[in-house]
Amino acid sequence: MKVIIVGCGRVGARLARQLDAEGHTVAVVDQLVSAFDRLGREFGGAMVVGNCVDEAVLRRAGIEGADCFVSVTSGDNRNLMAAQIAQRIFKVKRVITRLYDPIRESVYREMGLETFCPTTLGADLIREYFLDGVNRGRDASGVDGTAARAS
Amino acid sequence: MSEPAEAPYVIIVGGGKVGFHLAKHLIERDYEITLVEKDAARAEWIEHQLGTVSIMVGDGDEMAFLATTGIERASVVIGATGDDEDNLIVCQLAKVKFHVPRTIARVSNPHNVAVFKALGVDAPVSATELLMGLIEAELGSEMVRGVAVKASGTCLVDLALPALSGYVGKRIADITIPKGGIIVCIVRAGKPVVPAPETVVEAGDELVVYSQLLDIAAVGEALSKS
Repeated sequence: MKVIIVGCGRVGARLARQLDAEGHTVAVVDQLVSAFDRLGREFGGAMVVGNCVDEAVLRRAGIEGADCFVSVTSGDNRNLMAAQIAQRIFKVKRVITRLYDPIRESVYREMGLETFCPTTLGADLIREYFLDGVNRGRDASGVDGTAARAS
Repeated sequence: MSEPAEAPYVIIVGGGKVGFHLAKHLIERDYEITLVEKDAARAEWIEHQLGTVSIMVGDGDEMAFLATTGIERASVVIGATGDDEDNLIVCQLAKVKFHVPRTIARVSNPHNVAVFKALGVDAPVSATELLMGLIEAELGSEMVRGVAVKASGTCLVDLALPALSGYVGKRIADITIPKGGIIVCIVRAGKPVVPAPETVVEAGDELVVYSQLLDIAAVGEALSKS
């Protein structure tokens, strides 16, 4: 699979390294050359310096033959614009976008983008851990937590 | 008798130089304006300058905030920030979620004009592109007399036909100019002549050409070919 990742932050770089190691053809786009340091020496994919919401830059990254496009820059609007260019102009089949704002996420999901929101995912996960802890406390006391306290 | 039309309600997102002057200009023409600016200090400054304008401090691409601006009754929403991606998202949210009839976006990267159109913005305006076209036309030659520019990136330009042009004595139908360009009028000895395909052009004629702004230099070149 040929994958383009825009945004070489922690998530983008990690994903790029993994996919590259698994044998996929990977190109990473970022505005800052220094961002590519995160990829490490082993990385064998392409690194393209430039603005990810510029068609010419995306072409340089090889978007025309890409199977998958991943938008993980730090800006929601930047991700949305890049993803829509990939989906609607270059007709990339699989386009995945990260959005921190849950409201914007639901709007663009309705409009047909494949999105994920670390804010809701993170909050849900923390809540799960928290509830898990509460439940475990209850299990240890053998009875319902409130009853234990009352006794 | 028709009812007096209500002043159109325009929301401008981004209170930089462009947003500020635009708001000022539209207020003078009796539009109802809300200017949205992220930076509270900048918003306060604008309020001191414009007084009557309604300034809201907030994030123009935040749905919840947009809903408080009365956006559902706006006739036009203008994305006027310095960031293309922010202007795009404001316009898309206005269009898709609030059914605003007309969206206008300031575009910094000229390549994005076509992208914005494809992504549903009614009128992307690239100041860079307009400037480039104007400067190119000025650089072109003495041939160019005047340029009237439309926001769409097209223009009307008055070009003098050089005496040495290979087209002198030829019919309008024989003149090839870049695709999309049309010769709309011939000015001969100060008088307008409506061009027909068989009209023969003469040295010293001025041709009024409707064209893409960026094609002007090429139009000029085509007409000067000997």
